[in-house]
Amino acid sequence: MKYLIATNNPLVKKKADNLCFVEGSYEDVLIKVRDLVYEGVELVSHPLGASMRMLFSPYRSIILGQKSKTINPFHVEIIENSIINYRKNLEARKVDWVHADDYALIDNELLKSTFKDLEVDFNKI
Amino acid sequence: MGEKFKVLYYVNQFFGQIGGEDKAGMKPVYKEEIIEPAMGFNGLLKDEGEVIGTLICGDNYFNENKEEALSYILNVIKENNPDIVVTGPAFNAGRYGMACAEIAKAVVEELNIPVVTGMYIENPGLDVCKSIAIVAEVSDSAAGMRKALPTMAKLVKKIAKGEELGLPEEEGYIPQGKRLTVIVEKRGSQRAVDMLLARLNGEEFETELPMPVFDQVDPADAIKDLSKATIALVTSGGMVPLGNPDRIQSASAQKWGKYDVSKRDALTGEYCTIHGGFDPVYANEIPDRVAPLDMLKEYEKEGIIGKVFEYFYTTTGTGTSVGNSVKFGTEIGKELKEAGVDGVILTST
Amino acid sequence: MKLELRRIHIKDIQLGKETAVKDGVLIVNEEELVSKLKEDERIKDIKIDIARPGEKVRIIPVKDVIEPRVKIEGTGNGFPGVSSKIAQLGEGKVNVLYGAAVVTVGDIVGFQEGVIDMWGEGAKWTPFSKTYNLVVDITPVEGLDPHSHEATVRLAGLKAAEFIGEAGREVTPDEVLTYEIGSHVEETAKYPDLPKVLYVEMLISQGLLHDGYIYGVNSQKIIPTLLHPNEELDGAVISGNCVAACDKITTYQHQNNSVILDLYAQHGKTLNFMGVVLTPELTTLEGKFRTCDYTAKLCKMIGVDGVIISEEGYGNPDSDLLMICKRLENSGIKTVLITDECSGRDGMSQPLADTAKEAVAVVSGGNVSHVVTLPPADKVIGNDESIATLAGGWDGALLEDGTLMCELNAVIGSTSEIGYHYCTAKLY
Repeated sequence: MKYLIATNNPLVKKKADNLCFVEGSYEDVLIKVRDLVYEGVELVSHPLGASMRMLFSPYRSIILGQKSKTINPFHVEIIENSIINYRKNLEARKVDWVHADDYALIDNELLKSTFKDLEVDFNKI
Repeated sequence: MGEKFKVLYYVNQFFGQIGGEDKAGMKPVYKEEIIEPAMGFNGLLKDEGEVIGTLICGDNYFNENKEEALSYILNVIKENNPDIVVTGPAFNAGRYGMACAEIAKAVVEELNIPVVTGMYIENPGLDVCKSIAIVAEVSDSAAGMRKALPTMAKLVKKIAKGEELGLPEEEGYIPQGKRLTVIVEKRGSQRAVDMLLARLNGEEFETELPMPVFDQVDPADAIKDLSKATIALVTSGGMVPLGNPDRIQSASAQKWGKYDVSKRDALTGEYCTIHGGFDPVYANEIPDRVAPLDMLKEYEKEGIIGKVFEYFYTTTGTGTSVGNSVKFGTEIGKELKEAGVDGVILTST
Repeated sequence: MKLELRRIHIKDIQLGKETAVKDGVLIVNEEELVSKLKEDERIKDIKIDIARPGEKVRIIPVKDVIEPRVKIEGTGNGFPGVSSKIAQLGEGKVNVLYGAAVVTVGDIVGFQEGVIDMWGEGAKWTPFSKTYNLVVDITPVEGLDPHSHEATVRLAGLKAAEFIGEAGREVTPDEVLTYEIGSHVEETAKYPDLPKVLYVEMLISQGLLHDGYIYGVNSQKIIPTLLHPNEELDGAVISGNCVAACDKITTYQHQNNSVILDLYAQHGKTLNFMGVVLTPELTTLEGKFRTCDYTAKLCKMIGVDGVIISEEGYGNPDSDLLMICKRLENSGIKTVLITDECSGRDGMSQPLADTAKEAVAVVSGGNVSHVVTLPPADKVIGNDESIATLAGGWDGALLEDGTLMCELNAVIGSTSEIGYHYCTAKLY
């Protein structure tokens, strides 16, 4: 049980254990992650995607690690900057709900891929 | 187009040739005549445009009665319906600059008429209006008038005729802070190779994306014994004694205030916020939420800290220029240092 | 290594009986091409179309762009490790159908974007409005999982380019470009006084629709690696990334990587071009540290004086870009970064959320949020509905007469972070 997934993606909810499921938006997931990082939880995957298009996604899954006694300032910086970046990008845009299922799928695939990178079987987190 | 475009000009009491500081309290007036510097300006427009009149207002009157002044000024402008409004140039004059800027902002936002003004780069009015009006970059004193007017006239002509402005450095205005995407002659990779070669050869180069420079302050050493330390309370949350005796601005602060709190246990009761950047309901309910004098006093009683410094310092953070903030910080810091204060609780909103 | 890129200038594409190049006109036998691609049983349907510069044609959603070529001397025709057997690339002679491009269309997921307008305002913003485009629209059989779907579309594009490229085998080129750089020892002996320069090319390496491949190896699985520039020019790197339209590096842009070409032009004159480091952009922070440390180490080991770093994508890759920059600058290696920026629709926002004081020399490919107005097309190749997706980000973007207002981020190659295009952002 090394990892924790902060997500609002219903597809991930169905498949993975050890979830911190957020009933809310992409931004709510980021905020939840921020709160956890300030409690000393490690940030394992980067909070943002790799393209503008993925910022339209209604769903986001972020991998977190163990809780430690000290707060990692680098992780704080990353999650704080991610929130600023996310808000800035959504200022004049709308979340793309039309393709919500596709975003859920891609988010889930990218999550699986990250776990592969971490060499953890997605179903046994 | 055969018709000349119409310019309405705004100046303060001094440039309006009414008088100096003694007339700074005068109410705004409108004169259907051309007064220096509008005179020189009018000449520069040649036969393309003309100044139709001059608005004059005292610097103090404007800054202390902003609403009334603006309402009169906007009305005059609306009635005369110019194609463009010119204010200043204000050089480095603070109150004049604020008036020029506030008028520029209101005219663009409410009347949708373009405005050109002129300011020295450090004029406190700059931040108020640079993104919305065109601000010609001028020197820090009126000695620069002869250079300022042609630049402003050129900008006015271009805008009035609907022409697009070129790069700020080419046209002589202060960047509005807009990053516009343009197509250039060399592709990006070529520009990158050129830039790298310049760096490798120790030549000058210019980045296309300047990183913001944050003024990083190294934290001071920890206080060794808090129980013997004097702690001061400073806020940018606009907490002032009821009635705002020093008339600290609710935004774009020009000054800070200090108040004796040695006899008080909390701010609550005699303080309120004049900060224009947040909903003040909860702050006014318990002002210590913004600047926690109550807790500090409790800590003092319990002996956790040695002493709460007798004065409380305050200003408004919203819209306040970096230049003013640095100035306030240096001034307050100096006083605190001289008074032997060991630590400061600095709160923002 | 010595590579000859022999350009046959293509002035038009037409469909015809025999796939061949005649007097600069590329003729394609549609039937042959379709049946070649349909050998892959995962493909249900292929539609072929042609889009020429100046035509009022819009292509959407574009998945990849590939330059058709044939290798007439040396090993590795096609895309070794992907569409053909593995072989060492970078040496030999390649006939290039210069001016032609295979453009693949096929929406793997509904939200894909990527527009090429061949005329007017839109043409200004994409380099692929200037190529004669053979558009291959791929419909796979039903029930394919998204990974196979993506792979099918990717392979079909590469195969189509290979098939068409074959038409240039016997054609005398109009222009022959020679790219030759020897070993580090040789080149340093030749140019002892020239500054040594490396190119660090970052690739999105994050999973489905977010991948890049090197000799067929998913870049997610590598630690940063060193290539001879000729290998990339010869087809070693291909794109599997189809979500960042404006700043993804298409296969065509790998084959013609502008940073490589512009560094080559200076090689032996003002600098000594030591090679290309391909660096994956991973999602995990540990992974990012690993690749950034490793990239910096490669640059230091080779002992270079300067490095150009190009990014792919936007968001989490910004961290990698700046981390590599910091490491290099702190070890005395001068860097120039190429990126694009998101300064909001009005250009008033802070362009990058991550910043580093070490990033003193940055080339900007423009603001991805810059709004462009694209008039309606006479003909849409691909999926008409995707246009609504482009406009879907905000209200009022699709006007009644069909005029589309979209951000540059939907336009293929507009804000290229390998500096392939001509955009930049200036402070007004």
